[in-house]
Amino acid sequence: MATSLGVPRLPFSPKTLQTLRRTLPLSLSKSPHSTPLPHPSISRSPFILRLSHRRLSSRPSASGGGENYDFDLFTIGAGSGGVRASRLAANFGASVAICELPFATISSDTAGGVGGTCVLRGCVPKKLMVYASKFNHEFEESHGFGWSYETDPKHDWGTLIANKNAELQRLTGIYKNILNNAGVALIEGRGKVVDPHTVSVDGKLYSARHILIAVGGRPNMPNIPGIEHAIDSDAALDLPARPDKIAIVGGGYIAVEFAGIFNGLMSEVHVFIRQKKVLRGFDEEIRDFVGEQMSLRGIKFHPEESPQAISKSEDGSLSLKTNKGKVSGFSHIMFATGRRPNTKNLGLEDVGVQLATNGAIMVDEYSRTTVESIWAVGDVTDRINLTPVALMEGGAFAKTVFANEPTKPDHRAVPSAVFSQPPIGQVGLTEEQAIEEYGDVDVYTSNFRPLKATVSGLPDRVYMKMLVCANSGKVLGVHMCGDDSPEIIQGIAIAVKAGLTKTQFDSTIGIHPTAAEELVTMRTPTRKVRRNSSSDEQKVKDAVKSST
Amino acid sequence: MARKMLRDGEQKEYDFDLFVIGAGSGGVRASRTSAGFGAKVAICELPFHPISSEVVGGVGGTCVIRGCVPKKILVYGSAFRGEFEDARNFGWELDEDIKFNWKKLLHNKTQEIQRLNGIYKRLLTNSSVTMIEGEGKVAGPHEVEVTQLDGSVQKYTAKNILIATGSRAQRVKIPGEELAITSDEALSLEDLPKRAVILGGGYIAVEFASIWRGMGATVDLFYRKELPLRGFDDEMRAAVTKNLEGRGIKLHPQSTLTELSKTDEGIRVVTDHGDELIADVVLFATGRAPNTKRLNLEAVGVETDRTGAIKVDEYSRTNVPSIWAVGDVTNRMNLTPVALMEGTCFSKTVFGGEPTKPDYKDIPCAVFCIPPLSVVGLSEQQALEQATSDVLIFTSSFTPMKNTISGRQEKTVMKLIVDSATDRVIGASMCGPDAPEIMQGIAVAMKCGATKKQFDSTVGIHPSAAEEFVTMRTLTRRLTVEPKI
Repeated sequence: MATSLGVPRLPFSPKTLQTLRRTLPLSLSKSPHSTPLPHPSISRSPFILRLSHRRLSSRPSASGGGENYDFDLFTIGAGSGGVRASRLAANFGASVAICELPFATISSDTAGGVGGTCVLRGCVPKKLMVYASKFNHEFEESHGFGWSYETDPKHDWGTLIANKNAELQRLTGIYKNILNNAGVALIEGRGKVVDPHTVSVDGKLYSARHILIAVGGRPNMPNIPGIEHAIDSDAALDLPARPDKIAIVGGGYIAVEFAGIFNGLMSEVHVFIRQKKVLRGFDEEIRDFVGEQMSLRGIKFHPEESPQAISKSEDGSLSLKTNKGKVSGFSHIMFATGRRPNTKNLGLEDVGVQLATNGAIMVDEYSRTTVESIWAVGDVTDRINLTPVALMEGGAFAKTVFANEPTKPDHRAVPSAVFSQPPIGQVGLTEEQAIEEYGDVDVYTSNFRPLKATVSGLPDRVYMKMLVCANSGKVLGVHMCGDDSPEIIQGIAIAVKAGLTKTQFDSTIGIHPTAAEELVTMRTPTRKVRRNSSSDEQKVKDAVKSST
Repeated sequence: MARKMLRDGEQKEYDFDLFVIGAGSGGVRASRTSAGFGAKVAICELPFHPISSEVVGGVGGTCVIRGCVPKKILVYGSAFRGEFEDARNFGWELDEDIKFNWKKLLHNKTQEIQRLNGIYKRLLTNSSVTMIEGEGKVAGPHEVEVTQLDGSVQKYTAKNILIATGSRAQRVKIPGEELAITSDEALSLEDLPKRAVILGGGYIAVEFASIWRGMGATVDLFYRKELPLRGFDDEMRAAVTKNLEGRGIKLHPQSTLTELSKTDEGIRVVTDHGDELIADVVLFATGRAPNTKRLNLEAVGVETDRTGAIKVDEYSRTNVPSIWAVGDVTNRMNLTPVALMEGTCFSKTVFGGEPTKPDYKDIPCAVFCIPPLSVVGLSEQQALEQATSDVLIFTSSFTPMKNTISGRQEKTVMKLIVDSATDRVIGASMCGPDAPEIMQGIAVAMKCGATKKQFDSTVGIHPSAAEEFVTMRTLTRRLTVEPKI
C-alpha cells in the first residue's frame, strides 16, 4: 500500500525536527516564499518548526534523491481542494506555493480567483441568490400569518448583485489570508506543467517535489448554432439586470437551482430538459416530487425537448429551437448542460498524465496521477464534484504525502443537497440503487403538508424516503425534499455513514414540532421490495403518518 | 374488531381492558397502540376549548391545542418580521410599515387547531377506541367515574386505568395575580399587546418574548437567575440572551414582579427592584403543575409527590398495580415525544406482552425562541459533573451566510462535547436558525453512541450551517477531570 505507492516520508521524525528547531538559528529560516507573520495561535501552530523544515526541504534529504526543488509542493488552482491541500501540507511542514488566475466573477482562461468555483462562481453566490429569491415565497407565506403590504414587494437587482459581489470580494480576501497565514506562497498567473517537477506560471519556472492539479471544472455548452447568445452559470450569477423571461436548458442540479432563483426574483422561467424529468441519477420519486413542487411555484417545464439552435430577433429577444418546435421571446437563454474538467492547455498530456475521454485527470485512490510526482484533487478528477469532497481529497492528499499517513478519501455515503426551491437533501443509495444492490429493501416514505403550509395556505409539501436493507436492518439511503432538507440531512448522514439500523433511528426521540422528527417516526413500510417475490413490489399499505 | 380475551376467568369482568383519562399526546398514543394489541379501550376527555380549565380541554391535549403546535404557528408568524428586515439588503423593497393582523393569524391558527382536534378524534375512532366526553375521576382501582356535560355521572370498570391528564400553567401568588395570564390565554388573546411583560426564564417565557417582539410589541422579560433557560448549557444560555437582546427584548435578570394593579393606562407592574411599568399583558411563564387535583387519587391511594406529580415506576405503574400514568402528569421529562414514548412502552408492557421501559437517555429538545436553540445529551456543566475522564469541548461561533448580506448581527453557536476516553459525543447543542431541524439527525447519531471520529468522517453538506457539526477539527478546550476516588 503505502510503500508500493512510494509515498515519500518526512526526512525527519517530529522529534528530530523539534531538536533542529532548537539548534538552528532563526535567521536560517528566512525563506523567499515564506511570510513570517506571527500566527495568531502560534502555540498550536508548528510555524517555526515549519520554517526550519522549509529551509531543509530544499536541501538534499533522505528521500529526495539529492535533488533541489524550490518547493515541496506546487499547487495549480486555489479553489476548495487546492487551498485545503496547500494549507495542510504547509502545516505538516512542507514548503508550498500555489498559483491562481486573477479574480473575476466570470471564469475564463485568464481569470479565476482565490476561492475557486465554490466561493466565486458556485456554492456561495448561488446560495446567496437562493436566499434572495426565497424571500418571495416567504412574502407569500406571510399573508396566511396575518401580514399584508400596501404595495407588493419589489426587487432591485442591482442592490443584490452589488452586495453579493462585495461578499465575494471579502471571501476571496479571507482565502488569501488563510494561505498567507499558513505560509503558502501565492503566485498570481496561469500555471502549466512543464515536466514532472516543474510548473511554469506565465513563463516563470518553479520546481517542486510534488505538483498538485486542482484546477476544477468549467461550464460546458453544446456547439449548436447561435450558442454565442447563451449564458452559462458563471454569467447567470452576475447578470447586470433581471431577466424578464429566461430559458434554462438542462435538468441537473444547476438548472433546477437557477430555475428557483430566477422564478423567485420574478423572471418568467422555462426549463428545457432532455429527459422526462429533472435530476437524473436522483431517487425517482424525489425527481417527480421536486418537479411538481417547482411547477406549483410557477416554473414551466418542457420535458423531452433538446435544444437545436438559438436565434436572435431584431428586437433583441432570443428564440430556442428544439426537437419539438420553437419558443420565442426570451431575454436570456442559459445552458446548464454540465461541467468539464479544466485540463486544456495545462501541459498534462505532454508529461504523461493520463486523462479520461471527458478530460478528467485519472487518479488512483490516493489522488495520484499516472506520473508519480503529480497528483490531482477536486472537480478536475471528476469523482464526486462537491466542495466538501474536494476538501476531503485535499486533506487526504496532504496527509498521504506530507504527514506520512497514507489516507484514501472515502467516497461512500457522501451526502449532498440541491438548493432548488424546495431544496433536496440526500445521503446514501436511491431506491433504484438499493434494490439493485441489496434486492430485499423496505421502503419507508412520508409525504406531508408541513405545519407552516397549513397556515400559509400554500400547496407546499414535504417528501421523505428511507431505504432499509430488509436483512440487516441497515439504513441504506435517506432522501428528502422540502424546507430545510439540506440542514436536516447532515445529521442523518452521520448516522447513515456510521451504518446505523432502522431500529436505532426509531429509538431516537423526535424533536417536536419539526419536519425532521418524521425521520425517526416512520413506523410502517410503504412497500417491501423482495427479489424473490412473485410481484416485485408488495404494497403493504400507504404510509400512515404516526403522528399522535 | 376481534378482541383478544385476556386471561381465563377474567373475561368480561370489566367494561374495558383499559380506561384512559386524558386524550393528549400520551393518552391517545397509549389508547391507539393498546387497541392495536387487541385491548378494548375507552378514553375520556373534556370538551374542546383553546383555554383549559377544570371543565374544558379537548382531544389532542396541551401539545396540539395549547402548546407545541399553536406556539410554533405563532413563532412562524412572528419570524416574518426578521425576514422582512433581512430581505432589504438582498434587494427587496418593502413598505416601511408592513401591517400585521393578529386576528387573521388567530383565526387561521384556531382553524388549524380544530382541524387537528378532528384528526385526533378520527385516529381514536379508527382504532376502535371508545371516546367519552366528560371529566374523568378515579373511583376505585378498577373504576372510573365520568361527569358528563349535562352533569350526569357514568361509571365504567376497567382492568387497567391510565392517567394521562397532563399539566397546567401555574400562577404566581402576588397581589393582582388575577390580572396576569398564562400561556393558555397568551395563545388566544383577543388583541395583540403593545406592551408585554413576561415573568419567567424558562422556554415558554423566551418563546413568548420572541413571538410578541416579532409581532411588534415591546417586551420586558423578568427572570430570577443571571441568565434565562436554567438547565441548558451556559454558553447556549448566553447566546440566547444575546439574541433576545439583539432583537429588542428588554431583559431584567435577577428580578421578579411583586405586584400587579389595574389602571386606566393598563396593568401597573411593580418589580422587586421597585421599578414600575405599564403593560397591556402580563404573562406568568413560571412553570406548570401536574393536573392531579380533581382526579380523586387519594380515594384509591395513588401516591403523588409534593408537586402533585403521580409517582410511577420504570414501567409507568403507580403504587396501585392496576393504575398507570404517562406524560406530564408524572413530571418526568415534559415533552410530547417523551409522552408518546411512555405511552407506547406502557401499551407494549401491558398489552403487547413485552415489558418495555422508556429510555430517557439522549433525548433531544428545542426551544423555539428566535433564532431557536436545540440540544441533545449533556451540557458542558453536566458533562463536567459526570465525567470520569477528560472532557473535550469543540465550539464554533460563526456568522450564518444569510447574515453576511442581510447585515444582521447575530451569530450561530454550536458545541460538541466529547468524552476523551471513549471519543463518544456526549453532548451537542446549537443556537441559530434551523437548530431544531438540524439537531434531530445529530440526535440519531448520538443515541447510537457515535464517536467524534465518526462525525468527522462524515462529509459536509455545503453550504449549510449543519456542516459545521462534522468539520469541528480544532479543540476549543479540554476540561481536566481529576480521577474520582
